[in-house]
Amino acid sequence: MQSESARMASAAEARFRIDASNSKPRAIKVISLDRPSDRVVKRLAEATWNHASFFTASAFAGAPQPGTNFSMTGWLSDVAGRTTDLVNEVDSADLVVMVATAGENASAAAIIGEACSVKRVNTTGLIIAGSGASDEVLSKTLAQLRPWSLMLVIASSEEYIADMLTALRA
Amino acid sequence: MLRKEQNDLLTQTGPGTPMGELFRRSWQPVLLAEELPENECPPVRVKILSERLLAFRDTQGRYGLIDEFCAHRGVSLWFGRNEESGLRCPYHGWKYDVTGQCIDVPSEPAESGYCQKIKLKSYPLIEKGGVLWAYLGPPDKRPPEPVWEFATVPEKHRFVSKRVQESNWLQAMEGGIDSSHVSFLHRGDLHNDPLFKGAKGNQYNLGDSRPVFEVVESAGGLYIGARRNAENGHYYWRITPWVMPAFTMIAPRGNHSVHGHFWVPIDDDTCWAWSFDYHPIRELTEAEVSAMRNGKGIHVTYVPGSYRPSANKDNDYLMDRKAQKEGRYYSGIAGIAMQDASLQESMGPIVDRTKENLVSTDNGIIMARHRLMRAAKALAEKGVTPPGIDPEHQKIRSVAIVLPADVPYKEGAKEALIAKPGVAPASV
Repeated sequence: MQSESARMASAAEARFRIDASNSKPRAIKVISLDRPSDRVVKRLAEATWNHASFFTASAFAGAPQPGTNFSMTGWLSDVAGRTTDLVNEVDSADLVVMVATAGENASAAAIIGEACSVKRVNTTGLIIAGSGASDEVLSKTLAQLRPWSLMLVIASSEEYIADMLTALRA
Repeated sequence: MLRKEQNDLLTQTGPGTPMGELFRRSWQPVLLAEELPENECPPVRVKILSERLLAFRDTQGRYGLIDEFCAHRGVSLWFGRNEESGLRCPYHGWKYDVTGQCIDVPSEPAESGYCQKIKLKSYPLIEKGGVLWAYLGPPDKRPPEPVWEFATVPEKHRFVSKRVQESNWLQAMEGGIDSSHVSFLHRGDLHNDPLFKGAKGNQYNLGDSRPVFEVVESAGGLYIGARRNAENGHYYWRITPWVMPAFTMIAPRGNHSVHGHFWVPIDDDTCWAWSFDYHPIRELTEAEVSAMRNGKGIHVTYVPGSYRPSANKDNDYLMDRKAQKEGRYYSGIAGIAMQDASLQESMGPIVDRTKENLVSTDNGIIMARHRLMRAAKALAEKGVTPPGIDPEHQKIRSVAIVLPADVPYKEGAKEALIAKPGVAPASV
């Protein structure tokens, strides 16, 4: 006689798995941190997504210095160019994905990361490093994102972002 | 999640499938050399990538990997007689050499040359590092021989085993790059297993159960770095390399041996989990080899006369609820290998990835799938050679290292990630 584990792991038993939704939608906010990434995020936004929204933060003047007071209000733009409130966006997110290009200034990560930290929202940093990006150039961008990313991905091309968002049911 | 067609693409490896063609472009481990121990020894059935084959070693010591079935009436040549430089079918005496060429059809006059018209499909089979490797791809695309470090160190520096896993190759392989499960499923073994315990790195592992992950593309596949806090503003990194399509390594611990796996499809519902341990600069001790033979570390004990683990789904993997409750085994199953295999087999032969809910710590898995799909497509549409075939992609090591907080691990561990003969592994 087969053990229960043997029987239940069979393809035949797979037919009886519950066919019902097992999760609720998660809101994923994708934010570009620099001009080249703006273009990537705007291209991504043209596709159809269920639970992802797209913003740019490249207009940030720069990261606040440690110990200084700063406002997080009004520092994001949606892809249509409308200014939107960073804190509100983070507050309604389940995951924030920050997109940066190797060698570009990713200092906005500190502000977004701080907001996510305050709101206890998970962060993923995604650096697009083309084949020409040197280790030195990459290191600088990495150093700006690392303190604020609970998951960091260095991808060779922007194609990965769409696959990642699909995998996360965005 | 994956769409159904993506899941099908990644999990189907039979002849003519995109992923099957990708696997067929590289050397695959198919047998331990000990399975064909001497000239004219009994042949061994080999099923790989959904093809049924037969391996044998002839009178001259040449290895052959041929279609399992006689061209005459379809008899399995496993019943064949391995004699005088060929394998003879016991039914009517047809005989084949290691290339699959028929060299005798007793019922036909020799001068008719009929046997020259009969040839079974065959593939190259070579021995390297105590493993027999097969190449099932186009002859004109045959790659250089494998140079994985475990297969190139002296024999006494390594131990290699294999076990059948009753699941598709992908869910087994994904376990190999899923670093975030270690802090849960295998936590008991860091204290107890003789092949892991005592390393300083274990303290970092157990002291920080929420590592931060960094996934970096490499030429051959990926590096997956798990970062934990160490002393004085430093990070403890455990770096897992994955080389396409199915090679993974585990970051080492202290002066213990280095280890890793190949996940090779038998068919779409089962795979071989190959497990290797080696040390680049020293022989394995008798105690280490004994522990490996006794199923410690990443190895298993077997049902006698087979490569099926003695804890398997037919005996509920010897589930021990008391050990589970007491925390000796987090899942109640003993041994790292079967802790993984039991859960991966419980998903069913091919898990339905349309129903899964991945989270950001699964980016290693997401990236691996992304790269596999891209490579399979590039091979199918443009004939692009997949990553992992270039010998330089195979000269790789896993790494455990403490680095300053501001150093990218790919840079800080750059030299340590390359396998170099006679150089000690980076391990904590």
